Amino acid sequence: MSAAVEAALDGLSCESCGAALNVAAGERTTRCPYCASPAVVARPRSAGEEPTFVVGFVIPEEDARTRAKAWMRSTWFVKSGFKEADVTDMRGVYLPAYLYSASARVGYTASIGENYTVTETYTTTDANGKSVTRTRTRVETEWRSLSGEWSAYLDDVVVTASRGLHNEELEAIEPYDLRALRRYTPKILSGWLAEDPSRTAAECATMAREEAVQQIGRRVSAFMPGDSHRELRYKTSFAHEHGALVLLPVWVLAVKYDPEQPAVRMVLNGQTGALVGRPPRSWTKVTIAIVAGIFALALVIYLGIEA
Amino acid sequence: MSVGTCTRCSSPLEREDLRCAVCALPAPRMVEADGVREAVAQILRCNGCGAAVQYSAEVQAPKCDFCNSVMEIETPDDPVEQAEVFLDFTISDAEAREALKAWLGTKGFFRPNDLQDRAAVDGLKPLWWVGWMFDAHAGVCWAADSDAGSGRSAWAPHSGRFEMRADNVVVPASVGLEAEECRELVPYYDLARNSTEPKGHPGATVEQFTVQRSAARRIISRALEGVARSRARNYVPGSSVRNLHVSVLPSTLTSKHLAFPAFVLAYRYGDKLYRAVVHGQDASCVLGEAPIAWGKIIFVSVAIISMIALIASALV
Repeated sequence: MSAAVEAALDGLSCESCGAALNVAAGERTTRCPYCASPAVVARPRSAGEEPTFVVGFVIPEEDARTRAKAWMRSTWFVKSGFKEADVTDMRGVYLPAYLYSASARVGYTASIGENYTVTETYTTTDANGKSVTRTRTRVETEWRSLSGEWSAYLDDVVVTASRGLHNEELEAIEPYDLRALRRYTPKILSGWLAEDPSRTAAECATMAREEAVQQIGRRVSAFMPGDSHRELRYKTSFAHEHGALVLLPVWVLAVKYDPEQPAVRMVLNGQTGALVGRPPRSWTKVTIAIVAGIFALALVIYLGIEA
Repeated sequence: MSVGTCTRCSSPLEREDLRCAVCALPAPRMVEADGVREAVAQILRCNGCGAAVQYSAEVQAPKCDFCNSVMEIETPDDPVEQAEVFLDFTISDAEAREALKAWLGTKGFFRPNDLQDRAAVDGLKPLWWVGWMFDAHAGVCWAADSDAGSGRSAWAPHSGRFEMRADNVVVPASVGLEAEECRELVPYYDLARNSTEPKGHPGATVEQFTVQRSAARRIISRALEGVARSRARNYVPGSSVRNLHVSVLPSTLTSKHLAFPAFVLAYRYGDKLYRAVVHGQDASCVLGEAPIAWGKIIFVSVAIISMIALIASALV
């Protein structure tokens, strides 16, 4: 993937009516303001790499709106008006993302806990006040050091290539079913917003490596023998790294529940319907709920003591 | 049909592959699309009426709002592949019946005495069941607990790495036969006796693969991990092992689609039907279920309990 596409495009004309088109910086699609024809911008190869893959939209607009409304109604302790508010803005966007894969070799060291049982005798007093000797078992852990290797292919590591949508938001609506991956064709973008990458390949590769290292951490941790382990340290070397630009379907929705407050943004996976958003919390409602909870608990304890 | 190999893991790539099924490296585009010299805003037009069309999430393809025609887009071809190598039938129907009869005679004391004589074959179905056979090279890392070098605990951790070559590993894909039945039949096949067409039993059913190629490759990869785990056991020191984990880095994973000959027989004993499978190349391999003589089991149990009671009373 080459450098992010930043410049706006001038001098494009509508293939349908000939009107001049203005394509904003970082966008791959546009719509003619005169004849409403949807157009997809094709750039020469020297201007930047074309996306390699696309995942098409599966969730239509009405379905996305219904899911968002259902999510809003299901949220708790939110400010008045949010549950009933209407979706004020809604856009289906093809989000540029970086699909990273590599082979990983890991060298690790860890302390492995192997449990064993110890039987011990102790002296205590019984119900009659007599001193008696009894036995009991206790589980102890013997710690042994272990070093070794772990290797595997890492695939399906996806990070955002857009500055408009943070990687945390993308992670929250993942996974995408990459079996539905299609080779990039402008046909899939026609009529939809499609963003060009606003992060460079190097930035995306760094983010992807960080995500890959976290994934490796989980897998190496599960690889450890023993009853438990601690002090796991590992060093990863990646080989045959590859990043491909992929366009992922995302619904971005805005809800204005109060004219004085900024709109609440929700992001919905255009393939699976998974949704992420930060509902506006009402701290008054949260406080009332906590106080009521404490009161109820105190009442239960009081009734228990009385009984 | 393979059109090249993956540059990362050397596994074969099919023409329709978007990514390598083993290591997920994007496959190179076979036909390069024509580039444009300068940026242009292209409109996708309906093949039917010429109107500008847009992608529809409902039909997951570009759809014309004027004439409702839907344009096809390139989708990953993920076919259900079919058998390409057929192992020959070398056993006839009559030999299969004889094999079943002989097998019923070997089932032991706790079966009815007249099982071999009274069992009547109710149905005989010759078929080719299907499976994948793969060859692969893989680097395997393992970690496990074993009793070797143990101290206060009965277990001590160990780890290691080895290179593995797996050839002619069969992964059953049959729906008609149980996976365990297939695994028991496999060692008795002569892989050299094969052809590209069904041979040796005209009219025998050829089972179809029911799994798409992408799913098949996942099943094969899991089977390779199973092979790696069983081989790793030989590298772990000691006699007792637990928590054996493996990580596998496969390369040059190639697979074939095979059809294996077998007979599925239904036989009746009394009022009940039983099922058996006779190998299509080796009549000595017969699997299946057989009736149990519960009278004999009760008689022997009572006799053993009586004997124990008798001995106990004599000792007391």
